[in-house]
Amino acid sequence: MDAIKQLAARKRHALNRRAFVRSLMAVGLVPVMSSALPGKARASTRHATVFTWGGFDVPELYQDYVDAHGELPDFAIFGAPEDGLTRLRSGFVTDLIHPCMGDIPRWRQTGLFQPIDTSRLSNWPDVIPGLWEEPHNLEDADGGVWLVPFDWGQTSITYRTDLYDLEGEESWDILWDERYAGRIGMLATGDDVWWCAAIKAGVPFEEIHTDEAFEAISAVLREQRPLVRTYTDDTSSLNQALASGELVAAMTWNSSAVELTFEEVPVRFAQPKEGALTWVCGFMMHRDAPAPDRAYDVLNALISVSAGEFLMGDYGYGHVNIRAFDAFDDETLEALTLSRNPSDILDAGHRSIPQPPEWSARMNTTWERIMAGF
Amino acid sequence: MRMAVTTPNETALAAGRGQSAPRWLLARHEGLRGLILLAPALVILGITVIVPFAMMGAMSFWTQVGFDYADDWSLRNYIEIASEPIYSTLLLRSLGMAMAATLLTVVLVYPMAYFLAFHVHRNKLLWLIIITLPFWTSYLLRVFAWRVVLGFEGVINTGLMEIGLIAEPLKFLLYSRTAVVITLAHAWAAFALLPIYVSLEKIDRSVLEASADLGEGPVMRFFRVILPLSMPGVIAGTFLMFIPTVGDYVTAALVGGPDARMIGNLIQLQFGTINNWPMGAALAITMILAITVVGLMFLGLMLALKRWAR
Repeated sequence: MDAIKQLAARKRHALNRRAFVRSLMAVGLVPVMSSALPGKARASTRHATVFTWGGFDVPELYQDYVDAHGELPDFAIFGAPEDGLTRLRSGFVTDLIHPCMGDIPRWRQTGLFQPIDTSRLSNWPDVIPGLWEEPHNLEDADGGVWLVPFDWGQTSITYRTDLYDLEGEESWDILWDERYAGRIGMLATGDDVWWCAAIKAGVPFEEIHTDEAFEAISAVLREQRPLVRTYTDDTSSLNQALASGELVAAMTWNSSAVELTFEEVPVRFAQPKEGALTWVCGFMMHRDAPAPDRAYDVLNALISVSAGEFLMGDYGYGHVNIRAFDAFDDETLEALTLSRNPSDILDAGHRSIPQPPEWSARMNTTWERIMAGF
Repeated sequence: MRMAVTTPNETALAAGRGQSAPRWLLARHEGLRGLILLAPALVILGITVIVPFAMMGAMSFWTQVGFDYADDWSLRNYIEIASEPIYSTLLLRSLGMAMAATLLTVVLVYPMAYFLAFHVHRNKLLWLIIITLPFWTSYLLRVFAWRVVLGFEGVINTGLMEIGLIAEPLKFLLYSRTAVVITLAHAWAAFALLPIYVSLEKIDRSVLEASADLGEGPVMRFFRVILPLSMPGVIAGTFLMFIPTVGDYVTAALVGGPDARMIGNLIQLQFGTINNWPMGAALAITMILAITVVGLMFLGLMLALKRWAR
């Protein structure tokens, strides 16, 4: 991953600053921040509020917005998008929120969202069509979309190449390796874990709603539990534990492997032979968005070239603007497990299929029981 | 306030001389005066505690259907809590961990409070401030600090490895119930310390002299005089610490591993990812009832001890 190390030199200092805040968010502890911060002059017009993961609240992603309005938009932070949705449902209003493609049909059932008029986004023609042209994103959207895609990537395994003794090909078996009991880390989000476990259990995603699938997936996750040191949504904790050698392998997204490589920890983002879980996430707009015009400016900034260069170069997530890829050579993109043609990566893995709320509730309840040891 | 110092007779006369009826009423009925003084607190308590609590109680009998609730008034949630082992296990574990943390804290802070009450004579305020200084930082920072202390490359592990006592870092220190109990014990210590200190401070020093005059040694004096007299503070401190720690979820989320999940984590998930608010409400009510039962048992034990000691 030498190509990535070359990217790293200039940005090491920013990482730790972000890591701490992100840890707090993972346990749901940072509420709407910016509007409450003292000393920040309130602009005469209201800024758009963006409800997202920690780490996506950095100026580099909103450069065009800052240039136009002088300040960052306001942020609210969630640990996982489902927590965010819960808060919106109980009356919290933000302009934009950051779920993933597979959430759209279920989230729309809440009636809390409005379609986005893509003709108002000047950068939209540069957005790779394969990332948003999906029936459930276009359905009833009045010619627009429900979700403007922003980031894509994989949920896979980051492992220490010096501590983990790989036998044969990279595979999901790494996270089920009994030789390393107590040194495996896992995400706690069911939306990632459940689907990855389905890949490991060999359950086709089309059948994931069946009772047999629930049993098979529960069985592999129960089998894995004694090996797991911690379940957490706090990627900073996982990164630190991987860096110190406390963990030898963990289920992560792209950014963990990239950030650890920046810190010169010998890790690899595995490309499991069974396929990784791949995803496309983006932003949906609240039905009662208080600052819709500014929300459009935020969206336009997010899908701009400069945001894309930062997202890929610093976090290792794929971006949606085709011109943002020009800043990277093929070798770097390959090291980042990205591609100018996202479908190369996305179709090589498995993408989750939208499910009804009842499935979601059953999955999360079952997953919580397994984590607790039942 | 003038009312308080006038005698009933004077006021009655004043009323007779044409004072307005409300003033006369106020003067005559002490209970009414009390109610009026309590009114602001009662209104706030009603709005912020009693009403939400009633709503939660009502919701616990509902059922989650997709993104909506069905108010079908069933006992389904409670039956599930009673029949599925995960709920009782997590509840008992949380009670156990909170008890362990409370016991640890009371045992650790009692000597501190004792020293402060009996052996510090000058600059007491300064001492109090110094002792409570760690509690001026955010609760979260204290939890994170413990991660630094207990972690794989933490102060304890690297220290022990440096001396050569251990070859590999101790894994049970972080991501375990031990870690949660230690962190809770430290993070909530001030809540136990202050009531104990106050009750020790209030002990009449002449009682201690009397016990010495009657021939008690220092040890017996502690057990027969000081400890019984400071029990109100110990009991208050125990409750102040035990009740909130049972439902704590942040500490378990940050320093607890898979086996240290507490009932608070489960309740938080019901209101978040799992998205089953009625179940969350039922769990919260169950937790409150369990805390009440344990609290009453503790009080009963203390009363029995008191009777036995006589």
